[in-house]
Amino acid sequence: MTTCNECTNFFPLEDDPSTGDCVQRVVDPRQAYYKSKPVDDETDASKCDQFQKK
Amino acid sequence: MTTVAAKQSKGLKEHEKAQEWWWVAEQTRSKRLDYLRKAVWKKGAIGGVYNPGIKIDLERPILFTEAWKENNQDPQMLRKAKAIAHVLENITIFITDQAQLVGYIGSLPHTIQWYPEGASIVNEEVYNEPGTVPEPEEKSLKIMAEINDYWGGQTAIDKLGRVLNPEDLVKYMSGVIGWGVPTSAYGYAGKDYEYILTGKRGFEDIIEEIDGYMDAAEKKTSGEPGPDILPLYDKILNWEAMQIILEASINFAERYARLARVISENFESDPKRKEELMRISETCEQVPAKPPRNLQESFQFDWFMQTLARFEAYEGAMPCRPDYYHGPYYDKDVNIDKRLTKEEALDLVGEFMIRAHEFGAFIPRLGREGLQGVTGTFVWTMGGVNKDGSDACNDLTVAFMQAARLVRVSNPTFGFRWHPKVKEEVMRECFECIRHGLGYPSMRNDPILVENTVYWYGHPVEEARTWVHQACMSPCPTTKHGFQPIRMASATANCAKMIEYALSDGFDKVVQMQMGPKTGDPRQFKGFEELFQAWVAQMKWMMSLLVRTVNLGRIKDPEFFGRPFLSSISERSVESGIDVVSPEGERGNCWVTFFTWVENADSLAAVKKLVFDEKKYTMDEMITALEAEWEGYEEMRLDFVNNAPKWGNDDDYVDDIMVRCLREVASYSHKIKCPSGNNWPALPENVSGNIHYASLVGALPNGRRLGDALYDGGISPGPGLDKKGPTAVLKSCSKFDHVKDGRAFLLNQRLSPTQLAGEKGYKLWSAYMKTWAELGMDHVQFNMVDDTTLRSAQTDPEKYQELIVRVAGYSAHFVDISRKTQDNIIQRTVVGL
Repeated sequence: MTTCNECTNFFPLEDDPSTGDCVQRVVDPRQAYYKSKPVDDETDASKCDQFQKK
Repeated sequence: MTTVAAKQSKGLKEHEKAQEWWWVAEQTRSKRLDYLRKAVWKKGAIGGVYNPGIKIDLERPILFTEAWKENNQDPQMLRKAKAIAHVLENITIFITDQAQLVGYIGSLPHTIQWYPEGASIVNEEVYNEPGTVPEPEEKSLKIMAEINDYWGGQTAIDKLGRVLNPEDLVKYMSGVIGWGVPTSAYGYAGKDYEYILTGKRGFEDIIEEIDGYMDAAEKKTSGEPGPDILPLYDKILNWEAMQIILEASINFAERYARLARVISENFESDPKRKEELMRISETCEQVPAKPPRNLQESFQFDWFMQTLARFEAYEGAMPCRPDYYHGPYYDKDVNIDKRLTKEEALDLVGEFMIRAHEFGAFIPRLGREGLQGVTGTFVWTMGGVNKDGSDACNDLTVAFMQAARLVRVSNPTFGFRWHPKVKEEVMRECFECIRHGLGYPSMRNDPILVENTVYWYGHPVEEARTWVHQACMSPCPTTKHGFQPIRMASATANCAKMIEYALSDGFDKVVQMQMGPKTGDPRQFKGFEELFQAWVAQMKWMMSLLVRTVNLGRIKDPEFFGRPFLSSISERSVESGIDVVSPEGERGNCWVTFFTWVENADSLAAVKKLVFDEKKYTMDEMITALEAEWEGYEEMRLDFVNNAPKWGNDDDYVDDIMVRCLREVASYSHKIKCPSGNNWPALPENVSGNIHYASLVGALPNGRRLGDALYDGGISPGPGLDKKGPTAVLKSCSKFDHVKDGRAFLLNQRLSPTQLAGEKGYKLWSAYMKTWAELGMDHVQFNMVDDTTLRSAQTDPEKYQELIVRVAGYSAHFVDISRKTQDNIIQRTVVGL
C-alpha cells in the first residue's frame, strides 16, 4: 500500500514523525497559495491524485 | 471599451482629473497590495446571489459535528471547546503568495463558512442555495443532508424557539417587524480589548491565570461544604473549556508557523520571499501565545483573535479600534526603531484591511438582501480620545486612511471619532477618503457620543472614551464590564409598521395576521391626537416584543450556544469562570435599531395636515386609498407627496412631530430593560432594510406605495424630498437632543465631487463639518460620486467594478447592490455646500 510518508508533499512533525502535514501548491482563478492539512504517515495514499513519490 | 483598455488609455493624472479613483489606486499601490487585493474572492452576494465559484466550506461543519457527537457527555461550554479545538487541529490552512498576515475561517480562499449548530432554518437554506455546494455536488449534498439531519431540532434557535412565548415567536419570525435572530450564533461580538490587546498578555499568560483560578476553586471544593462552593463545580469545567480552546488556538497558529517554514525551506526560491516566510513563521510562533513585539505581530495577534472568534460564531461586524491598539507598535517600528519604512508599514496596514475583506460566511437570504454586496458591517473605529480625554489620533490613523484609498475595500469601512482637538492633517486624510468616493469614514461626534454613552448606561466616562462602533453605528466600550459579547440589536424594528399598524388597527395585511394591539378603527379617529396615541401604542408593542425576545435569547445563550473562545479572551469570564454571553458582569449597552423610521414622521404630518387640519380628505377616504395601495388614487397620492410637509426642510410642522415621536420612544426606552437592568434606547438607521422591506410594508400616507423603496434611513430625509439645502437638513436634524433622545442617528448626505474638488472643496467641507459639530449632531456620512458616474456604472458595470458607494451604515461596491438600491442612492439629493 502506498502511504503518505512516501510522498514529497508529506512533511513530518519534528517531535512526532508519525504525523505531519500534507503541503500542496494550488493556483486558483484568483490567487496562488500553499495549503496544508494534517495527516498520519501511514495514511493510504493509493487513491490520492496529488501523490508524488519521494 | 474593455476594463483593461479603459485603464491603459489614461495616465495617472488623467484618472485623477476624471476622478476615477479606483484606477488611481491601482496605479499607485505596491505590487504586493495590488496582488493581494485582486486575490480576494468576493464573498458578498450580488443582488442576493453569491458569485460563481464561491462554495460552502464543509470541513468545519464535518469536524465540528464529529467532535460534538463524540463528546456528548460534556456540558455545553466544554463540549463546544472540544469541538472547535478539533476543527482548529484538523482544518486545511493556506498561505497566499505575497501575504505577510495569515488566517482565514474557511479551508480554502473561495469558501464561506457555515455554522450548522446555529439555526435549522439557515441550514435548510444552505442545502438549497444554488451554486454554492462544493464539487462533487452529489457527495457534498449527501454530507450536508446528514449534517442537517443531525442538527435538526438541536440548534441554538431551535432550542430557543421551544422556550419563547409562541405568539411572540410567530410574530418575531414573521419577517415583517424584526431583523436577525436572538443568538450569538449569528450577530457580532465586542471584545475586551483593554484586557487582550494592550500588549500585556498572550494566550499562555491567560492559561496561567486560569490555572490560578482553578487551583483556588478546587481547594474550596475540597473544603467545607456550603452554598458558596456550589457554582464552582460548573466554573471549573468552564475554565477547563477556556484552556482547551486557548491551547488549540496556539497550536493553530503554530500550524501556520510550520507551513510558512516548510514553504520557505522546500518550495520558495526567491530569497526575499524566503525571508518573509521565515518572519511569518516567527510571528506565528510568538502570537497569540505571547504578547506581540512589533507591528506585524500586533496585527497578526489581532487577526488570529478575529479569525478564531469566527470559528466559534458568525460575527458579521468587527467592533475594533485598530489605530488606537496597534498605534504604539507602528510608532515603535516606523518612528523609533526604524525597523520598517512608511511604505513597508503601509503594506501591512493595507493587508490587514484585505484580510478582513476576505472574510466570508453564509448569510441567509433575509440577511443578504438587507446587507447587499458585503459579508458584514465591519465599521472600524478610528481617531477619538484617550481615557484622559486627550487626542488619540496617531500616525497609524493617517496610515489607515491612506491604505484605505489604496486597497479600496467595501468592508471593512471606518467611522471616525471627531473631536475639537483633531489635527487638520488628520481631517484632510478623512476628507481625501470621502473625496475618493469611498463613502467612509463616517464622521462621529465624539464628545456627544461619549456623553450619550454615559447618559444611557452609566458607563464611567473613562470607559465610555474607549468606545468602538459595535456594528454600524452604536458606540460600546472595550472594557471588562462595558463590552458587549452578543448582538442585542436583533431587536431591530421595521418602524414603518408602527404607522401602518396605527392605521390598520394592528392588522398586517401583508402577512394577514393581527400583529400589533387593537388600537381602534382609524376611520373613527376624530383628531390627530387619537392617531398619535394609536401610534404610541404600536411603537411600544413593537419595541417590547423585540426586546422581550432578545432578552430571553441572551439569558439562554450560554445554555443553547455558548462562546468558550470569546470567554477565554474576556477578563470578566476568565476571572469569574462564567460564559461571556451570560449577562452577569456586564453593565448593559443595548439599543433597538430603528429601520424605516422617518416614514412615521412624514406620514403622521401628512395625515395631520391634509385630513385633520385642512380637512381636504376624510380618514375614511384616506384609509380606503391606503387599503387600495393608492391604486386608482394617484392624484390624491401626489397631493400627499407634494403638499404635505416633509422632514429635512427645517419645517417645524413636521419636525415637531418627529421630535415628539423620538421623545415618546426615549421615554419608553427607560422603561424596557436589558438582562443587566439597563436601558434600550433607539438608534435609527438602515442597512439595506429600506429595500428588503419594500415589499413587506403597505402603502403609507407619505405617498409611498407597496413595493416602493423606503427612505434610506436613520434620520435622513426621504430621497429627493429635502428641497431646501444641506443647512435645512442639519437644522431639522438638530431639533432634538442627540444625547437624550436616542442612542445615535444616521444621516446620509450626497455631495457634488465637482464642487468639492481641490482646496476650495476641503474648505467648504470643513465649514459644513463645523456647523454639523456646533449643532450637536452625532453622525454624518457622505456619498461623493456624481449621477453620471453612477448611471454609467449601471449601463457598463464591467468598467466600474471598483466603484464604491455608501449604502447605509456600510459601504458596498456599486455593481454589487440591487438595481433598486442603486436607484435609491441616485435619487438622494446632491446637496450644494
